[in-house]
Amino acid sequence: MSSATRPYLLDFYPLEDEKYTRIAPFFIHLRAGRLTTTKCERDGSVHWPPRVACPNCHGTQLAWVDLPRSGRLYAFSALYLGLPLGMEQDAGAVVGLVELGDTHIKIFSRITGRKYEEIHIGDAVELETFDIDDGRVFYRFKFKV
Amino acid sequence: MRKVALVGGGLSTWGVRSATWGELVQEAGSQLFATTRNLDAKSIDSLFVGAAQPERLAFQSHVAPMVAELLGVKPSRFIRRVELACASGQTAIHDAYAAIASGLSDVALVVGIEKMNLPSMPEATTAMANVLDRAWDGVHGGTAPPFFAMVAQRHMLEYGTTAEQMAAVSVKNHRFANSNPTAQFYSKTFSKEKLLSGPFVSPPLRIGDCSSMTDGAGAVLLVGEELAKNYTDTPAWVVATSQYSDFHNLANMPSLTDWVGLRKAAHDLYARGRTEPTQISLAEVHDCFTISEIVEYEGLGFCPKGEGGRFVSDGQSDLGGQVVVNPRGGLLGCGHPLGATGVGQAVEVLGQFQSTVAGSRLVKGATQALTHNLSGSANVHTLTLYRRAN
Repeated sequence: MSSATRPYLLDFYPLEDEKYTRIAPFFIHLRAGRLTTTKCERDGSVHWPPRVACPNCHGTQLAWVDLPRSGRLYAFSALYLGLPLGMEQDAGAVVGLVELGDTHIKIFSRITGRKYEEIHIGDAVELETFDIDDGRVFYRFKFKV
Repeated sequence: MRKVALVGGGLSTWGVRSATWGELVQEAGSQLFATTRNLDAKSIDSLFVGAAQPERLAFQSHVAPMVAELLGVKPSRFIRRVELACASGQTAIHDAYAAIASGLSDVALVVGIEKMNLPSMPEATTAMANVLDRAWDGVHGGTAPPFFAMVAQRHMLEYGTTAEQMAAVSVKNHRFANSNPTAQFYSKTFSKEKLLSGPFVSPPLRIGDCSSMTDGAGAVLLVGEELAKNYTDTPAWVVATSQYSDFHNLANMPSLTDWVGLRKAAHDLYARGRTEPTQISLAEVHDCFTISEIVEYEGLGFCPKGEGGRFVSDGQSDLGGQVVVNPRGGLLGCGHPLGATGVGQAVEVLGQFQSTVAGSRLVKGATQALTHNLSGSANVHTLTLYRRAN
């Protein structure tokens, strides 16, 4: 999809550069193949998505920590009808909640590599990064072979 | 606090309408003025407009003064738009209730409105994908259908709920809509077989499991206790309200199948209204998808956890059952013009108490009703309790 040619307010992907966001490190780590998030140095809570202040204790001393790159499908579906602008060509795409390692963190993601009819709850998936055509990077998961 | 009465209601026709955002507002407003005795625009001191996404769907913001002008109202106490996605309309009613109960307003107009059918449907569905956490969930294609599809998948796995039980919700609500001339699916045939052979939107949800993109508006009038008799002999008394919100990003949801926030909001509503689930005659609940209504039976305490599928297939949510759910036709039968839905539910409660709705959906002797909207990924629940007697 061409994010570069779409008006910003119709672009789903977050702005990644430090000019626009204080969580630019997330995307720098992602470029290096790492899925990271913030952890509060005061109360120890791990956030998703990354934050600049802890929603639990409101502390602002946060550290970047790695999340597992692998997980299992907790629930899933597919996008057949009613896809948003810019995703019309993705009909049939699988999405799901991925339970990351043993963290009990479940994040919602696009999942590539198999059709809806071929997958089951509990299937193993792993992180996959991909380039957006204007130089940004983002993540999804793919089924483990 | 002062007691608050809902004394009048009007609706536009809901559906795929050849009408603009403002024209729908005028249709609903005209109905309210035509059917509410002694209603004079000059007596309305406050206006609350429930509208979810006029910026995206009608390219218009600052809509409250637009509505005031369209309906000839000059608010002097409160004028504002209220936004809470699919619960915008009911939340606007809550604000009017609070304003009147506090004594800061005497006569408040609530308008709920959404114009969703655009020449480009993907543009309209884009406005649905930013209801979830756009940069982290919406970006992957997270809109309502795949989210509620996962709810259905897990509810089927954990509790044995079936596609046939989900279809029973849609069949019931479409049957009720057939007696509601303002409903999107009025006079349209619908059957379980048709639903179960229809295309998937997001499996296991088929098109008949999903509420529609709808154009529609509604208007209701709320007044202080001492003014109610000017407008009607039979108001719907607003007894209690509640809301609860416990997450936003899908990663922070406590459970797909046990809506903790709904149980909390329902508990608060019953406590504030000094009542319990078995005392509710009718419930207008948020059946944006068939599975939603099933989970809501459980969250509202109408049946034990996991038995929502059996509750509908046993007829317990139909006329003659334990509680009549969605006699208006629900979101499945009426359509779901986001900001208008909660207002449409309130209009139904008033019509039920006044026995002005069609006999085929009348809940005879109804004394107590609740309305429920979820919004987003069921991460907010909004409830109102109404009583026929003060």
